[in-house]
Amino acid sequence: MILIVGGTFQGKKAFAEKLLNEKREDFTDGTSCAFSDIYHAKVLFHFHEYIRRMLEQEMSVQDLAEQLWMKNPDLVLISNELGYGVVPMDVFDRNYRETTGRVCTEIASWADAVYRVVCGIGTKIK
Amino acid sequence: MFVTVTGGSGSGKSAFAEEQILKFPEKNRLYIATMVCFDEESRQRVKRHRKMRKEKHFDTLECPTDLVHVRIPKDTAVLLECMSNLAANEVFSPEGAKEHAYEAICDGILHLKEQAADVCVVTNEIFSDGMVYDKETENYQRLLGRINAYLAEISDVCYEVVYGIPLRIK
Repeated sequence: MILIVGGTFQGKKAFAEKLLNEKREDFTDGTSCAFSDIYHAKVLFHFHEYIRRMLEQEMSVQDLAEQLWMKNPDLVLISNELGYGVVPMDVFDRNYRETTGRVCTEIASWADAVYRVVCGIGTKIK
Repeated sequence: MFVTVTGGSGSGKSAFAEEQILKFPEKNRLYIATMVCFDEESRQRVKRHRKMRKEKHFDTLECPTDLVHVRIPKDTAVLLECMSNLAANEVFSPEGAKEHAYEAICDGILHLKEQAADVCVVTNEIFSDGMVYDKETENYQRLLGRINAYLAEISDVCYEVVYGIPLRIK
């Protein structure tokens, strides 16, 4: 499993295309895919949006990292790095950004590699 | 050794900071807690952190403001968490130092450093979500930015934790 994180509009998908030698047309969009698609996807981007949709549907994310690791261990996940702003006023927003952090932290601990993309430049941090 | 640990929300910076403090040789460990509980969510947060610290033998001292008056017992390693709360309390609470928050906090940090051989301070990145905030919040961001720069300057070691992965930035 590979995790690619970074701020919004930093060139994460372009970095993934180069790293994996894949076309972004073949990537799965976490904003709109079926929830089960994540278990068959090769590369899934907007992972933070996928988590947001789970929370909106009141689905539990407790086992998400472990399930991904068991069912789709070669998955490449691309997520915005959230949590770098002032604590949001809205309780859902607070929970969303913290949950994304906790899930990504768990995935990072199991991932074979973690990259962080800033200004289009990916740095391998694990 | 003075260590600063920064990172975003939910990045695992608390867990990492606790690991750091366990490496120090002091017999006693003091946890300086800065958050004021005012609702169920903050009580849950405190509960979660207390559970993490259980078995690690920390004494806990509540310090929502006025860090400069904290007395540290001999042979104690100190973990202060979190600077973002302390800064908010100094600015927004009635007991706070208000416009003198920066000086009050920097004096407090220096005072910690003088009293304890080993200190770890946890702070927070609240600067990069691209939102435009009201003047008050912007002033608060500026304050914490200055404090973080000061912390890094006097630190021997400084880490940014990214989703559980510590990046050494000093």
